[in-house]
Amino acid sequence: MTAVTAPARTPAGIEPPPERRPPLGARLASLVLPVFTGLAVFYLFLPIAVMIVFSFNDPSGRQNITWQGFTFQNYLDIWGRPDITGPMVNAIVVAVAATLIATILGTLIGIALTRYDFRGRNGLNLLIFIPMATPEIIMGASLLSLFVSFGVQRDLTTIIIAHVMFNISYVVVTVRARIAGFNRSLEEAAMDLGADEWQTFRRVTFPLIFPGILAAALLAFALSIDDYVITSFVAGRSITFPLWVFGVSRLGVPPEVNVLGTLIFLVAIAFIAVQIWSQRRSIRAPATP
Amino acid sequence: MPRRYRWLVPYLFLIPGGLWLLAFFVVPMLVMASVSLQTGSLGTGYALTWNFGVYPEMIQQWAPQFARSLFYAIVVTVLTVAIGYPMAYTIAFRGGRYKNVLLLLVILPFFTAYIIRTLAWKLILADNGFVLGSLKDFGILDDAFRLIATPVAVISGLTYNFLPFMVLPLYVALEKIDPRLIEAATDLYASRLQAFLRVTLPLSMPGVFAGSLLTFIPAIGDFINSEILGSRDTTMIGQVIQRLFLNNNAYPEAAALGFMLMAAVLGLIFVYARAVGADELTRG
Amino acid sequence: MADQTDLERAIERAFRPRRRLSRRMFLRQSGRGIVIAGSALSLPAILAACGIDPGASPSAGGASQAALPSAPAGLLDFANWPAYIDIDEETGGYPTLDKFTEESGIEVTYTEAINDNEEFFGTIQPDLAAGNPPGYDIIVMTDWMIEKMIRLGYLSELDHSKIPNFDANALDLYKDPWYDPGNVHSMAWQSGITGIGYNPTLTGRPITTFDDLLDEEFAGRVGMFSEMRDTMSLTLLSLGINPEEASVEQATQAKDKLLEAAQRGQFRNFYGNDYYDELANGNLALTIAWSGDVSQMKLYDNPDVEFVVPESGGMLWIDNMAIPNGAAHPLDAHLMMDFWYNLENAVPLTEYVGYFSPVSGVTERVLEDADAAEAEGDTEWAEALRVISATANPTDEVLANVHNYRKLTEDEESQWNDLFNEVVAG
Repeated sequence: MTAVTAPARTPAGIEPPPERRPPLGARLASLVLPVFTGLAVFYLFLPIAVMIVFSFNDPSGRQNITWQGFTFQNYLDIWGRPDITGPMVNAIVVAVAATLIATILGTLIGIALTRYDFRGRNGLNLLIFIPMATPEIIMGASLLSLFVSFGVQRDLTTIIIAHVMFNISYVVVTVRARIAGFNRSLEEAAMDLGADEWQTFRRVTFPLIFPGILAAALLAFALSIDDYVITSFVAGRSITFPLWVFGVSRLGVPPEVNVLGTLIFLVAIAFIAVQIWSQRRSIRAPATP
Repeated sequence: MPRRYRWLVPYLFLIPGGLWLLAFFVVPMLVMASVSLQTGSLGTGYALTWNFGVYPEMIQQWAPQFARSLFYAIVVTVLTVAIGYPMAYTIAFRGGRYKNVLLLLVILPFFTAYIIRTLAWKLILADNGFVLGSLKDFGILDDAFRLIATPVAVISGLTYNFLPFMVLPLYVALEKIDPRLIEAATDLYASRLQAFLRVTLPLSMPGVFAGSLLTFIPAIGDFINSEILGSRDTTMIGQVIQRLFLNNNAYPEAAALGFMLMAAVLGLIFVYARAVGADELTRG
Repeated sequence: MADQTDLERAIERAFRPRRRLSRRMFLRQSGRGIVIAGSALSLPAILAACGIDPGASPSAGGASQAALPSAPAGLLDFANWPAYIDIDEETGGYPTLDKFTEESGIEVTYTEAINDNEEFFGTIQPDLAAGNPPGYDIIVMTDWMIEKMIRLGYLSELDHSKIPNFDANALDLYKDPWYDPGNVHSMAWQSGITGIGYNPTLTGRPITTFDDLLDEEFAGRVGMFSEMRDTMSLTLLSLGINPEEASVEQATQAKDKLLEAAQRGQFRNFYGNDYYDELANGNLALTIAWSGDVSQMKLYDNPDVEFVVPESGGMLWIDNMAIPNGAAHPLDAHLMMDFWYNLENAVPLTEYVGYFSPVSGVTERVLEDADAAEAEGDTEWAEALRVISATANPTDEVLANVHNYRKLTEDEESQWNDLFNEVVAG
């Protein structure tokens, strides 16, 4: 049974032909994908929900797997525990530093690889690619070997070095995808209009490939803040959040772990919310003449 | 920039990153390669004996675990494509204004630590946790049924942990597809399914390829999921390398196994690349 | 029907708290954690092996016994397991450490850096092998790891003239132990027993000996340790073999026994410290376990569980303080180590931690403290102390059926590891 939608008003008063609503089968079929995606997102968030819920748990024993009572105390206690907040700060510092350096280095390589032809290109491709295929434990152990033999004290600096190393490949791969799809003619147009190379890059190329660079940076950040294996080898006596979590969670995940996990998660949400809000604003803001 | 220096430009771009990789990846790896060919022990010291025999020895000893890791990694990759492709498709083609939000939603769970997520799964899939426990109470499941300490739990954990690595590249590839191409196909009397199979899918293959790599490679070397959610019968090659390295201090053997894993992975990728027709490895 | 001995019951009631024990107050032991930090071969060693002299000491880490300085430096880096020292619950401070600082003027930096013997060893081994300072002055390692580190030359020798309390107050059991004859390198910190933990409501019957772990009735609900020495030693005992004297052939027999059971799916998994959760939440009906853990579990997480020393025999483990080579403040370390062997300090430590104390006279003092508490009206604490006193010093009854680990040579260790790997890695 089809229904006739109210005709839209058009300037000349001419009514467009009545729309037919698609048949029920097709409508259902078109729901499949969104529902599936919704379920998938639910699936993705399920462990997060568990983590958040159990951060409010008040266990009497060592175990934090059965619900024993609601408390905010965990959240309040955290701040007085430098042994917990310390690793978190370390992880962030390392991730930010490593992301910045790796993104810059990786983007440069990505540009070079996509735009220019030069000797040693294949070799470089291989060099970029192999770290991604290497088991982390091998990379970690080999770095440790290197640092020890040169008497380099292992601390946050060595962690950052290691993280930059494995991030470069991911950045290159991500950025390359974006640059490859980039329309050269825009650059050519700019140059035809009198811009020199640097100006073109700054005002045409860079803004257009920026989403790719941002995506690469996000990826690098996520990889860095989450890294356990390589970090465990090169951390020396410093501790980052994943290392700390591994250490304390051997006998069951204490609520502190969940609290920190939840806090990180909230920060990430806040960051995204800000991003979306600023995007909306820039869309609504009138274009400057 | 003066013309005669033009040729320098790519090299200038390459040098910082390239040097970093050289110093902190290539050199240490060469050291590890040398270690794999050594014999000795902590107490007696190590000597470079060019013991190539360690490689066949390790393959023979750990073939089952290699095979198992390969199997799990393939299953995981297939599953992530099966789950991730519809997701990426929906976000790319149906997302509209919410594309970015949805994408961020996909990545968001991964700002918590890997171990926390995996431990949370241990809780969710627990024998008598709120999922299985309820099902058992309703009599749907036998009391002795369990998911933890089975391959199912390990594969589920791996799939979960690598899903975003599949969704993101897929999304990027799908989003780049010009919708007018699909329109053109339907204009030419292709059904929606045909349009998908013959236009969208082939154009998204680079994304499938990239996503598969990003999933398969870490999955095959993973040990955390098997450690937390598995049992002795799910032992993966990553756990073996860990154990040899750290518990047994058997560095040459562990290094050899590590290199073989690398070689196997690279070989597989090469084959896959040929099959899928993606020249991304050999070309820029 | 076999009853538990008084000892076992006492062990189980051991930890009635004065205040609510925080979740961090669990007792750790050797055992493989979930994942482990790194260790690697040092480049100088490799270069040396290739005939190139790097100028640094080779990997055998020769012990350079520099003479102790004449005065303490005033600083100390002490690495220990979590919850292995008395803590003031409210302030998070360490009362006995503070007392030490008051008495000696030495500032102590106490880090709970050790979660697993092999893991921690991995973090300091490269430095020790290369001759770099390890960053800690005192470390606490389990007996077999101490033996290994001595064998590799990574531990400093102790100057017994600086630790008179040890010679005067240590129990004979802890003097001249199998892993460190003459206590040249180490002194006991606390010790305990590896046996079997089980849940009678799940097993349906009391568990008495190791072979119960292999009983098909419990297939899929049994836990084993992924740590080689504990598991192999207990298995050897079940074959009637004394682990201290086991040959590689006998170890192979143990391996076969375990492998047969593993292949038919007898074991749910091989665990590190994470066995605790599995036993507490019922995933495991019975498992290899540590005495102190089960007592804790009984109090807080699952009142049904019981601990038993297998009839075939249990293992005695001893954690020890030692000074790694190249430690920055060795004299301060000596002073601290001696401090713990003063009865005044050993008592509060054991009252809090609850494992066996190596210092003689602790039992009597704990009982005195119990009486004093009673007199003050703190009956809960008094009762707890009375129970602790039962296990403050190991008695002959306890020691009757426990054994020491074998002093493995490097070759043997490698062979035992290979054997055990077959069992652990499916």
